[in-house]
Amino acid sequence: MSNGIKLDERLYNFTTRCVRCAGCTFGYKNAEFELFCPIYNKFNFFTYSLGGIAQLARALHEGRIDLTESVTDILYHCTSCGACAEVCAEVDFPDLMELQHELRARCVEGGQVPFAHMVIIEGLKKDDNMLQKPKAERGKWAEGLEVKDITKEKAEVYYHAGCRYCFDEELWPVARTAVNLLRRAGIDLGIAGKDETCCGGRAFELGYQGEFIKYAENNMEMLKTAGIKTLVTSCADGYYAFKVLYDIFGKRGDLEVFHITEYLARLIKEGRLKPTKSVAMTATYHDPCHLGRKVEPWIRQEGELKAGEIYQPPRDLLNSIPGLKFIEMRRIKENAWCCGAGGGVIDAYSDFALWTAGERIEEAKSIGAEAIVTACPWCKRNFNDAVKESNGGLKIYDIVELVEQAL
Amino acid sequence: MVNIIVCIKQVFDPEAPASAYKIDAEVKRVILKGVPPVLSPFDENALEAALRIKDAHDSKVTVLSVGRNLSKAVLMKSLAVGADELLLLEDGAFEEMDSYATAFTLASAIGKLGGYDLILTGREAADTNAGTVGSGIAEILGIPSITIVRKVELDDGKVIAERVVSDGYEVIETPLPSLITVSNELGELRYATVKQLVASRNKPIVTWNAQELGVEPPQVRQARLLSLFIPQKENRCEVVEGETAEEMGANLALKLRAAQIL
Repeated sequence: MSNGIKLDERLYNFTTRCVRCAGCTFGYKNAEFELFCPIYNKFNFFTYSLGGIAQLARALHEGRIDLTESVTDILYHCTSCGACAEVCAEVDFPDLMELQHELRARCVEGGQVPFAHMVIIEGLKKDDNMLQKPKAERGKWAEGLEVKDITKEKAEVYYHAGCRYCFDEELWPVARTAVNLLRRAGIDLGIAGKDETCCGGRAFELGYQGEFIKYAENNMEMLKTAGIKTLVTSCADGYYAFKVLYDIFGKRGDLEVFHITEYLARLIKEGRLKPTKSVAMTATYHDPCHLGRKVEPWIRQEGELKAGEIYQPPRDLLNSIPGLKFIEMRRIKENAWCCGAGGGVIDAYSDFALWTAGERIEEAKSIGAEAIVTACPWCKRNFNDAVKESNGGLKIYDIVELVEQAL
Repeated sequence: MVNIIVCIKQVFDPEAPASAYKIDAEVKRVILKGVPPVLSPFDENALEAALRIKDAHDSKVTVLSVGRNLSKAVLMKSLAVGADELLLLEDGAFEEMDSYATAFTLASAIGKLGGYDLILTGREAADTNAGTVGSGIAEILGIPSITIVRKVELDDGKVIAERVVSDGYEVIETPLPSLITVSNELGELRYATVKQLVASRNKPIVTWNAQELGVEPPQVRQARLLSLFIPQKENRCEVVEGETAEEMGANLALKLRAAQIL
């Protein structure tokens, strides 16, 4: 075969151990079977699952198939949400998503990636962001906030907005609210404005590990120069990148990384922010994959709590809001249904991304929620678009918007 | 109609960070993880030159690439931005050729295509930086060439090019057919949108192996790679001392003079 790929021994052994039990396509929780894997449930064909992808990987390694456009198409339909890895009984393997990351890196090396991703990476290289927007406009979201610029002034805590919040104008209020809440609690805060760059996390998930390393090195160099020891971000992808991926690649050093939900939960616990106003609504919470199961394997891999999955802090925040009735969906925390935007799916297969979001919205409606609350800009974007497509019916909030309403 | 051929090499992204590169010294090969193949940047400049001519004159642009395991998805970018046809010379025999063998193979394909007016290449490939294939093709085909060009225009069967030199540029005119190697000063290749990339599937991609091309590349390499290594860089930092800023400045100047920098 001319363009097969070779896996390392560990990954190859995993592909041979998979007994095709199909457990990765659904889950068993609270005495009920639940559907967890978006690609399998959309296409209803085993190849579209972790087990199926493992069989593809084995066939590629053994030279029985080529890395063709059809194979690439299957690999890149996966939202990389990691639900499969929660269910798979493969106990010897710390992070089953490693297979997906490895295969995508090989797709990139072989020049076999979706066109949409090629265009996005070209934009990233030119303008340092994943949204193909001019880099000069990166700081516009913070205009008028008069927050410190860490490239010019010293600040204790750095707020990383992330590509989506910097360039998606509809989401600017979320990042602006986060900055205001942190300053209201007396945090000495700085941003990098137009000099902020992508964290590189999405590039990693698309298989462009070289680009990821470039951005990890650039970001850490900037933070080192600015003397930053603590980073807070509202972006779930950014949290995963800074906290887990930078660590895996030995780039993080002693940088402390917090997601805005855990930082705000701490500030409320310490009494530095006091939600007192009533926000009367019935709301449910959607767990972003990058705050949950995507960071869990790192804990198991290291044998100690290096990165904590963030399940409880957002729930604590919602429970601290007077008047808000917080209700849970069936599929939560490590068994949450993905929003559909992850792994580059929102860019390459937007119809599938919207279908996946639509499924989640229906689940939220089915338990009587008026609003679905999340803590990730990619989830919020995708839910917003899906709700628009289905002519409304459910409000979509980022958690900081509700915290602000309660103060 | 002006018949333009652009030679493009597929290389690993030269903008990947240094820490992504590893060397397998034994087999003298660069190992890169998660780094994509791309069109060599100077070759992109050459394609942009061709497209600018196409914008002004009725032209056909054929992109030609040689190698093994060429990525159609990567090379299709050339079709997406406006090239009319892609000709791939793909064969195990075309792997890891030196500059002479590459020029020989490309010139053979161009000769077989025939009817060309202008051949464009990048000034050099972004991986080897040898810069000899373009001139080699011109030599083998027996046509004039202009190297390291920043602007190309056609005028009444002639090509007028601005050639970059250290203190400016020269304006050179040659009759057609001729070959030009293009430099980055010409400008970046226009962007390809996803829509254009998808539409490029409808444009023709032709693949020839060595047999179809009708020639075998020269078996004896004119150049051999003796060793491959990453140079060791050593940075040393010395703090210049002094009681006052003026004294520190003066001490710095003395050190720079001692190092023969001032």
